[in-house]
Amino acid sequence: MSGSQTVIKVEGVSQAFGAEGDPRRVVALESASLEVARGELLCLIGPSGCGKSTLLNIIGGLATPTAGRVTIDGQPVRGPSPQKVAFVFQENTLFPWRTVIDNVKLGMAFQGVAKSERDERAFEALKAVGLADFLNHYPAQLSGGMKQRAQLARALGLRTDILLMDEPFAALDEQTRMILGEDLSVLLARTHKTIVFVTHSLGEAVFLADRVAVLTARPGRIKQLISVEEGHPRKSKFMTSAKLGTLRNELYELLHTEIRKTMTQRGETSEGE
Amino acid sequence: MNGRRGPLVSPGVARIFAIILLFVIWEVGARFYADPLFLCPPSQAVVALKHIFADPKIVNAIRVTIYEVVTAFLLSVSVGMVIGLAVGLQGFTKSTILPIILLLYATPQATILPLFVLSFGIGPAAKIAFGVSHGIFPVIVTTVAGVQNLRPHLLTAARSMGASRVQVFTSIVFPHMIPSFFTGMRLGMTAVLLGVLLAELYVSTAGIGFYTRLFAESFAPPDLFALIAVLAAIAVTLNELCRTMERRFSRWHAA
Amino acid sequence: MKFKMRWPQRLIQLGVLIAVLGLWYWATLPGGINQLLLPPPAPVFRNFWNLLTTSSIWPDLAVTVREWVTAFFIAAVGGCTLGYVISRSAYAVRVFDPLLAGIYSIPAILLFPLYLLFFGLGPGSKIAIGTTIAFFPVVLNTIAGLSYVDKAYITAARSMGANDAQLFWSVMLPAAFPVVLTGLRLGCIVAFLSILGGETISSLAGLGHRIVSLAENMESAQMFGNILFAVLMAFIINGVVSYVEARGRRGMQ
Repeated sequence: MSGSQTVIKVEGVSQAFGAEGDPRRVVALESASLEVARGELLCLIGPSGCGKSTLLNIIGGLATPTAGRVTIDGQPVRGPSPQKVAFVFQENTLFPWRTVIDNVKLGMAFQGVAKSERDERAFEALKAVGLADFLNHYPAQLSGGMKQRAQLARALGLRTDILLMDEPFAALDEQTRMILGEDLSVLLARTHKTIVFVTHSLGEAVFLADRVAVLTARPGRIKQLISVEEGHPRKSKFMTSAKLGTLRNELYELLHTEIRKTMTQRGETSEGE
Repeated sequence: MNGRRGPLVSPGVARIFAIILLFVIWEVGARFYADPLFLCPPSQAVVALKHIFADPKIVNAIRVTIYEVVTAFLLSVSVGMVIGLAVGLQGFTKSTILPIILLLYATPQATILPLFVLSFGIGPAAKIAFGVSHGIFPVIVTTVAGVQNLRPHLLTAARSMGASRVQVFTSIVFPHMIPSFFTGMRLGMTAVLLGVLLAELYVSTAGIGFYTRLFAESFAPPDLFALIAVLAAIAVTLNELCRTMERRFSRWHAA
Repeated sequence: MKFKMRWPQRLIQLGVLIAVLGLWYWATLPGGINQLLLPPPAPVFRNFWNLLTTSSIWPDLAVTVREWVTAFFIAAVGGCTLGYVISRSAYAVRVFDPLLAGIYSIPAILLFPLYLLFFGLGPGSKIAIGTTIAFFPVVLNTIAGLSYVDKAYITAARSMGANDAQLFWSVMLPAAFPVVLTGLRLGCIVAFLSILGGETISSLAGLGHRIVSLAENMESAQMFGNILFAVLMAFIINGVVSYVEARGRRGMQ
């Protein structure tokens, strides 16, 4: 773990939709607390609907919690903080009417980067994700994996300390996911960014994370944190190592009950508990 | 986040307010600022309604128009459906004939209106024919689309259970087509209305076209407004009828 | 609707065309259909050719085109503006969008006699009806385009720090553009058709008026020739406008 200084502090965050007493009230998160250290990659994992994306949005200032608070570098989060936090979303949010490099430059324009700097930074960011040859392509001409790389480049171009990634590889096939995961690890080692990464995949979580936070079924709480003591960049042989296997199994044990609980809540299974 | 108070007024009510406001502006504007030869306040138009309905010749002209619309509509729908089925059920006929039909659909029909009147005279026949010429195309196109969208595995499932061709048609193809059929009817009604009204307005020697020309030339805006309002109300009613039928019969269709 | 067109279909279509022409010729031979009702093909095509190659139709054509362009311009500017204003507020959209859609379902041609009363028989009444009818597809599509921008784009832009102006100009406008363009195409075509309709019903000049006066004077061959000309014009307009729309959409996608 590189550095133990806390960057993100989530204190007792709760998120509820609907008023008290409303039978349709949904409590997505209940008193979730955790801390993220500078330069660490923390994975959030949990059953569907457990509030991981909600928590990520709250950290990034895209949503306001009904209770509790989040601080970044000691400052409370009150709204989007484009100078400190950059998002990578699961859906494609590249603007289809602009080329790849224009997309990256537009992100910088939103953040407030001077015009003269944009070209160079955009090129750097795209080179870092391996899209240097696709600067003038339109998103429609790119594969799913390349689109996500481009989104990542746009986030990197903002040069924020923190990256929040909401299941960025979920829509991609397994093989692309593996490669992108390895590349992300390399990037992390180089840039020392703080990353909070939401995923469904157990293997992906253990492979990428310094720590994995397991959330419970709704209402979401931090059930447990698992440490993965392995340096970055993670090599491909880590993926097949016994250590990863053990940790993955540990995660499975923790998650299994929660997943069953969620399915029962939804009426998707008759097997209780 | 604490709930924000919703809008003070529901959209439906706001809409009614907006319409009322419009009428008020019209009333005030027309009463005090407009030349009575050209514009009249809605109140005068409402009064003129009585006068319109008192004249049996005008009432008859309106009745004839309704008759023309309904006849043209029924013809469009029946002939259109037959043609649509004939063309759409078979792939070859579809790719051959449909382009021709679409070509005809795209012609500006206003240009051949004088031709219709020359051929059929100034009576209802020309208007019905022109209405059919407008209404038949959306019916054909939607019927073809309805047949086309049938998923082949529904047919396979039926055949695997031993259904004969007739049974397949009556219990699968036909019910499947019904939503598109009603959509075609709705579009057809809108088109027929356009065709019949266009023809009626063109023929200024009889029917409502005579009265619209009369009222316009004699600068009688209240009568003109009243007549147009009546026709508009009829058109909206017919359109709404078709739309409700379409909604009712499309309920099983997934969004 | 797309279908594979191979030569058997093309051949049959060609055959149909030839059959129609043949039937036309045969039906109008001496002793056949009344020539006032259906003139033989030869004089019709000769007339049509005249219209294409001489300038006899130009004055009327100019009137129609001027009416059409004016009507479309007003409808486009007005429709886009009103559509933009309404789309600024989700509440306004909920109030006015169904209202406008509902008004659109009334056959607007009914307003034409009122416009004749107001503006007289000249171009004014035609421009008025063209504007009225073209206005609706433009405003409805503008509202739709601006209100239904994919939320993901807006969230992403906001997360990167976009302010309201940047959000509008760099995200919402380009996202809405294809839909607005479709509305403009529909408005353009519908303006032309309704102006032809208005000219047919009552006018002093223009393409529609030509056809009507030729009909009244029983000049069938010329009337048919003019009808062909108007149909050709409509097809060309349709083709050009659809092409412009397709190009516009591609540029933004």
